[in-house]
Amino acid sequence: MRGVRLGLPIFLGYVPVGAAFGVIATAIGFSALQAVVCSATALAGAGQFIALNLMKEGASVLAVVAATTVVNLRYMLFGATLSPHLKDMPLGNQALLAFMLTDETFAVNVSDRRTGASSGASMAGVGAIAWAGWVAGTAAGALAASLIGDPSRWGVDFAMPAMFTALLIALAEDRRQMAVAAFAAMLAIGLPALSALGIIIPSSWLIVIASIGAATVGAVAFR
Amino acid sequence: MSTTYIWAVIVLMAIANFAVRFPPIAVVSRLRLPEPFVRWLSYVPAAVMGSLVAGEVLRPGGEYLITLRNPYLLAALPTALIYQRTRSFLGATIAGMLIFVGIRALLG
Repeated sequence: MRGVRLGLPIFLGYVPVGAAFGVIATAIGFSALQAVVCSATALAGAGQFIALNLMKEGASVLAVVAATTVVNLRYMLFGATLSPHLKDMPLGNQALLAFMLTDETFAVNVSDRRTGASSGASMAGVGAIAWAGWVAGTAAGALAASLIGDPSRWGVDFAMPAMFTALLIALAEDRRQMAVAAFAAMLAIGLPALSALGIIIPSSWLIVIASIGAATVGAVAFR
Repeated sequence: MSTTYIWAVIVLMAIANFAVRFPPIAVVSRLRLPEPFVRWLSYVPAAVMGSLVAGEVLRPGGEYLITLRNPYLLAALPTALIYQRTRSFLGATIAGMLIFVGIRALLG
């Protein structure tokens, strides 16, 4: 139950963004059932929106799946980061937590872990309530698209950035962490500008490259 | 857009997303990690959030928007401050969305 309480803000943030996914998915040809199943099984936030964009342009199945996979490669970093805390957990429970791993559940669990109160049960609670928000939002968006209209009217465009901003402040707790976060931000903004020099970094790789680069500099610089 | 095409994407996307999430947990949790790698991992959360925020706020939709009329930037600063003061993730998220809607309306 502690986990559900911790995850409640994620639930409330996911409902509007999930609704936006439901609206857009049904607009490009998904049935409501397909939109809901997609959210319930992928739980992939940005990855799902990228998929819709590519599908609208008629991309092949493999191209769509590859793009969402690359965008979500950061989940590998999350899994590795959490794994030392999940040592004694049975494989089935690890699989469940892995399935519910998102940017927000990861950040909330890591910051809760630092207070020393986090447990397998609380992490499962955070994941379950986040999943419920994403799926419920998608269902609402897919079934009530005409009532909702243009989702951006409701400030949905800023739901994810707002959550990320709060989580960044929560996680960048000391000067070293702040420096690493600032360097990652500079990489994420600077790397796309390299296209002026003919060096094109696909946008789906940006977060992974910037994160690995900044964490590496942090690990080397701060011993 | 055919139904088969949509279902194929849904099924493969579900498999692919689980495939990037599960193996690192299953494998790495069973290894004894060297200290430098553990230290590296400790910087991953802040690095990911830093790059996500920067991308969402300064390049919304993948286009540079580095101006003072950027509603994402103008809303992110008070959102950060509210979280810093209140430590309420929910309060900061909702306040941030309201501020964003307000700023966007003001900017026209």
